[in-house]
This record gives sequence, C-alpha cells and structure tokens, in this order.
Amino acid sequence: MMKLRRGDILLIGIVLLCAIIFIIIRAFPNEVSDESHSKIATITVDGKIYRTVELTAEPQEIKVQTEDGHYNLLKVHDHGIEMIDADCPDKVCLTFGFITNPSQTIVCLPHRVLVEIENTNPKDQGDDLDAVVN
Amino acid sequence: MPSSIDTSTAMLKKTVMIAIFAAVAVVLSIIESMIPLPFSVPGAKLGLANIMVLTCLYFLNGKDTLMLIVLKTILTAFIFGTFSSFLFSFFGAIVSFVLMYGMMRLGRDFFSLISISIVGGIGHNIGQLTAAMIIFKTSKMFYYLPALLLTGVVTGIFIGLAVKYLISALSKLTLFQGWAAHE
Ligand SMILES: [Zn+2]
Repeated sequence: MMKLRRGDILLIGIVLLCAIIFIIIRAFPNEVSDESHSKIATITVDGKIYRTVELTAEPQEIKVQTEDGHYNLLKVHDHGIEMIDADCPDKVCLTFGFITNPSQTIVCLPHRVLVEIENTNPKDQGDDLDAVVN
Repeated sequence: MPSSIDTSTAMLKKTVMIAIFAAVAVVLSIIESMIPLPFSVPGAKLGLANIMVLTCLYFLNGKDTLMLIVLKTILTAFIFGTFSSFLFSFFGAIVSFVLMYGMMRLGRDFFSLISISIVGGIGHNIGQLTAAMIIFKTSKMFYYLPALLLTGVVTGIFIGLAVKYLISALSKLTLFQGWAAHE
C-alpha cells in the first residue's frame, strides 16, 4: 500500500531542502539580538497601533480589548512577550509561544491583532533609558 | 447519448456524494479541533478535512470539489463561529485546491496521493500566510514557514495514506462504482 513514486521522493526532498535553506538563512540574524539593550513590543489592532510596551524582566500583563468586545491577554516577562489567553475561536495565537527577538511575531487573525518586537536603538534611546532607570 | 433519466440520476448521485463528503469533512474538522497536536507550530494542523477534498477530487471533478470546499468552509464557519477569519481559511483552501487539482490532472503518473496531500497542506499554509501578509502588511509571518513545511510533510504523508485506504474501501461500494475517473 505504501508505495512512494519517484515524484514523491523528489517532492519531499525539495520541501525538506527548502525548509533547511530557510532555517539556515534565519540562523544569521540581520539584527543583532543584544540582551544588554532594551526591546519594545508594538501591539497593533486592525492596522492601528494599540500600544507599545518595553520588554522588561519583571512580569506584567497587557489586556488587548478589540472594538467588538473581544480580548487577547499578553504577558511580558524575561525580556520577551507571549500570548497567554484569548477568546478567539481558533486559539492559533496561543501557539506562538514566548517570543524574544525581532524576527518573531504573534498573530491573532480573527482579532486582527499583531505583536512585533523591535530593538530600540541604544544611541537615541540612551537618554530616555537613563531617565527611566534614575 | 445518455437519456435524461440517466443524467438526472447521475446528477442526484453526485449531489448526494458532495453533501456526504462535505458533512464528513465538517465532522473531521470538529474531531481535529479536539485533538491536541504534539508540536506547537503556529498555523500547523492535521488537515483531516483534506481527506474528503482529496477523495472528492479522485471520484468527482474539479467543479464538484470546489463546491465541496465552499460548503465545508461555510459550514465550519457557522459551527466554530469563525466568520472573522472566514476569508483566510477560504483563501488557504482555494490555494490548496488549485495546487492539488493541478497535480491530480497533470502529475498522477509521477506523484502519488501522498505528494498531492503534502502540497495541499503546505498550499493551505502558504495561502493563509499570504492572506495574513496582505492584511497585516508585513511578511514577518513567513518566519514560521520552515516549521510549517516540516509539519506539512509529516501530516501530508499521514493524510495521503488515509485517502488511499478510504478510496480503496469506497471503490468497493456500488455508489462509487464507475466514478473513479483517475485510475
Ligand atoms: Zn487568536
């Protein structure tokens, strides 16, 4: 019953090769993920910026309330962010896990919620950062 | 030249088959939502409903399968209340369908059902990622594509095998005799 044709083996090989190439390209980060300077997460709902939050080590929770009365609950901790609860029907957003670097995202399609991470530029951020620390 | 009674009987048979396939596809989607996946890849799914899409492509034609997909997508949106993501799943399903239909028509000597279901599953993922890219105006979601390709191969093999067994079982039923247009 389990008869693989030549085309099958070729196709599976090509798909696996593509995956490996993607993973190798991804392994060279174009933005250096430096733990020493801070990162911020931008939360957008339906294309509009809902709020930005600094990814602190201390835990904090952010509740995103959409206009039609639904919610997504995000949690910031250990310089990263994760979606911990949502009342969307597919719950796909909860499978993104804990994200810490700018190439990763969290998406909730039904609620049109997008979470992106950006490295804050230490040069023009320095003064603000000191102000916060002091 | 077939008589009009024969044609209408065939039409009725076809309609019944599409309805049954769509119903089973919806049930499979419900079952799938209850099965936790052992891996956590955003957007990855078993794609059990694809068993029915492939079976339909095998026994019936492209137009009928398209009908099945429309029915299945609307019914699942009703049951799960996923109207807000309806267009995403529909877009994914259409990309998946076009690729599987093309392979079924042109590549049956070269590819088995396993390849066709792998391409169908991955096509669904790429369709959804593209829809998400258009809506959110960012291509960052493609970060998850490699993981989706890998899970797509695994689930595709599983679904392809299921379709093989289902087709050989259904071919023994009188209702399906004379329909297998692709052998
Ligand atoms: Zn969600």
